[in-house]
Amino acid sequence: MTTTERTAAGGGQTEGIGYFARFGVTERMIAETLAAALSRGGEHADVFFQHRVGADLGLEDGAVNRAHASVELGVGVRVVRGDQTGYGYTEDLSLPALLACARTAAAVADGPARPGPAALHVGGRLPDRYPLARPWEDVRPEEKLPILAALNEKAFAADPRVRKVNLYLRDEAGAILVAGSDGRIVEDRQPMTLLYLSVLAEDGGRREQNGYNVAGRAGFEFYTPDRLDRVVREAVARTAILFEAGSPPAGEMPVVLAAGSSGILLHEAIGHGMEADFNRKGVSIYADRIGKRIAQPFVHIVDDAANAGARGAINVDDEGNAAGTTRLVEGGVLATYLHDAISARHYGVQPTGNGRRESYRHPPLPRMRSTYMLPGPHRTEEIIRSVKRGIYCQNFSNGQVNIGAGDFTFYVKNGFLIEDGKLTRPVKDVNIIGNGPQALERVDMVSDDLAIDEGGWTCGKDGQSVPVSQGLPTVRVSSMTVGGRGS
Amino acid sequence: MDLLEITRRAAALAQRKGAAEAAAASYRARHVEVSWRDGRLEKVTEATTRGLGLDLYVDGRFASVSTSDLREDALDRFVEDAVALARTLAPDPHRRLPEPALYAGQAKVDLELADPSYEALDAHARLRAAEAIEAAARGVPGAQVILSVTASASDTRGESALVQSNGFEGTRTGTDFWIGAEVTVKDPDGRRPEEYAASGGRHRSAMEPPESVGRRAAERALARIGSVKGGSAAMTMAIDARAAGRIVGALFGPLAAASLQQKRSFLEGKLGEPVGSALLDVKDDPLLPRGLGSRLYDAEGLAARAFPIFEGGRLRSYYVDTYYGRKLGMAPTTARTSNLTWSPGARSQAELLASMGEGVIVTGFLGGNSNGTTGDFSLGVRGFRVRGGRIAEPVGEMNVSGNHLQLWKRLAAVGNDPYPYSAMRTPTLVFEGVQFAGT
Repeated sequence: MTTTERTAAGGGQTEGIGYFARFGVTERMIAETLAAALSRGGEHADVFFQHRVGADLGLEDGAVNRAHASVELGVGVRVVRGDQTGYGYTEDLSLPALLACARTAAAVADGPARPGPAALHVGGRLPDRYPLARPWEDVRPEEKLPILAALNEKAFAADPRVRKVNLYLRDEAGAILVAGSDGRIVEDRQPMTLLYLSVLAEDGGRREQNGYNVAGRAGFEFYTPDRLDRVVREAVARTAILFEAGSPPAGEMPVVLAAGSSGILLHEAIGHGMEADFNRKGVSIYADRIGKRIAQPFVHIVDDAANAGARGAINVDDEGNAAGTTRLVEGGVLATYLHDAISARHYGVQPTGNGRRESYRHPPLPRMRSTYMLPGPHRTEEIIRSVKRGIYCQNFSNGQVNIGAGDFTFYVKNGFLIEDGKLTRPVKDVNIIGNGPQALERVDMVSDDLAIDEGGWTCGKDGQSVPVSQGLPTVRVSSMTVGGRGS
Repeated sequence: MDLLEITRRAAALAQRKGAAEAAAASYRARHVEVSWRDGRLEKVTEATTRGLGLDLYVDGRFASVSTSDLREDALDRFVEDAVALARTLAPDPHRRLPEPALYAGQAKVDLELADPSYEALDAHARLRAAEAIEAAARGVPGAQVILSVTASASDTRGESALVQSNGFEGTRTGTDFWIGAEVTVKDPDGRRPEEYAASGGRHRSAMEPPESVGRRAAERALARIGSVKGGSAAMTMAIDARAAGRIVGALFGPLAAASLQQKRSFLEGKLGEPVGSALLDVKDDPLLPRGLGSRLYDAEGLAARAFPIFEGGRLRSYYVDTYYGRKLGMAPTTARTSNLTWSPGARSQAELLASMGEGVIVTGFLGGNSNGTTGDFSLGVRGFRVRGGRIAEPVGEMNVSGNHLQLWKRLAAVGNDPYPYSAMRTPTLVFEGVQFAGT
């Protein structure tokens, strides 16, 4: 069990009922709800209040002509007995509705009532991993609109082949409040933003589409001129190169993963398999492998809540537990699973702050935050030079894994063939498949150029989506199966 | 309060706050879900939930909202802010409510979307079903290598109402009931392959006996033991009915008017043209009694009717909603698929494999993607080699790739076995000459 806390600079946030007081939520109400939740003998109970206010602006055919405003307000009540969970939720924040919810969740247990918390208390100070210069509550639509108009113009100006540009800007404000039957109460304000630029280009009757997106837990200040320029540059370049790209050959070959979003390799090959619920149930290919060597000694993999401003950053998890840096693999050896409170109790360890949920409508599960590999001993040029015939993967759209069998995939949107140690022809639209432990074992070179991707990744599990980040230095995997059809 | 009345008031509120026209949609649902793992209750979730959405047409501009905060004063402020937000946007002459004439002519049929016996189910029935699923899974030959069985039973009763200020009001109530099982087994080489089975539908009677779902999940998981990677080659590919929705979805996505108008569809300009072999013959049919995708009116209030999508391989219709239809100058059909009905083949999957001889039957996809603009696809697959017309060794960690415009022309056979647990109702499909990547 090795978690380290990297506290970011900043003011920290207040705890206790601050934000949710506006909805009439009181400590007394929470205490009564928790008492009702434990009325049938549950061992632990918690309530999770959420208020999320979203604003989306869309540009299509040259005009910002659509907007969507959304509000999610609700509360979930959970009762835990051992590894059994009862859960209820409601949008009605009145005491009678909360009590009804609590009694529903309580039914998972069947025994004499346990007392609720004698008093609620505010835990320690939270870190401040998303300090905001311009919170979204204070940004008027008139400030956002010119940004989209300018991006649209720049995208068309960047390449005469651009025919359609779509833009989408989302921002979120709001907060969560978690209170547990141990009396702890935590509130965290959680901002988020995401900008997506998609380009459709036409060249001699052929069409190609691609895009670029950036995301983070940040305010309006996130959209610096540099970042906005990069969004246009990347979206257009990633589309234009598709006209020159083809499908790579089919079969097994060395795969070099570029620094940055290639972290999807870790997310699928090991991250999910290390989520402790799968291991507690014995259904992960990594079950019973803690302490075993699974990779070269220069491979270190972490799942980190503390990357300030990252999409996957959190100050506290959705069970109210401190969230820091969890070491999945240290020196090639499997070190720590990603725990929520249930699995931490099962294994007799401290929670790692990985208990996350999509919203008040879902109970928490062990989930990743920002998953990446630490820099290694090799140099990027040396890695590419080492490959006689293989593929270099730059940009990705999605991936998936079978937890038990270990098969995992990632879909490469852009890349290059490597021939005789050099990047040659561009390739596109190819799925790569491997087996988790085998692929990690085959990571035989790791560069020193770690980059955390700034894109808007979303992870799905058990019907719940949560925002995550990922990163990687340039890495060579000695062999994976490339789903091409070219020569 | 009556859901329709809530919805009417929301539409009226939008107009009072300055929207010239408005559409309001609201829902209320009760959902219960039980999961059972390795001999005991694992999780029970129970909730009654609600929400409201509004489309606001303000001075020739458009904004939409959704909220679960229905407190009167909060809703009042929220709608007021959204109307103000709409006023900051560019005008869009194509944003209007549908032509009211399209609301008329709803079919006079009872779709039987709600099981009248919904209320009669008690929590113990769900638990008994889940327990029976696990017992059946653990009773199959070879079950001693089963590592874990998770069984689930869930049901929902949902009500929704739609009001459009130019003359549409509708309500509907539906139920669904599902049971399922996930089974993980131990492969001697250390892998722990998993498989699943599920069954359900609008009425409780659509669920198979729990025992058959448990047995099927266990048999499927056990069949994955010893899975190998096959060689890279062009082969005949059968796709199991349960899995085929993935590839069919990638063919149907680019039929949306939004994709056509944004030039992101490899099916643009193909109306009336052959896209597949003569066996590609599919209707969109919203009027199937008890269908998972059945409806009398769509999300815009348009009266639902069946229409052909592919006939003898030729593309007959796109999915056209009001907005992109106006941009394209095309008459609306409906925005989204309802149920798909396939002209079925005469043969079972076993008969299709017998005549296929050599190849692979794909039973599941893993990741991968399909490029809607170009039609290129590359997908991870697992399944079984087919040798001498029979299912042989399990294969996995392979990819298939190609282009939809070629793939569907190589559709060589369609089974008589539409998958009943999805609105896409896909049968087993057989394609010739598909590129597999393995060793």
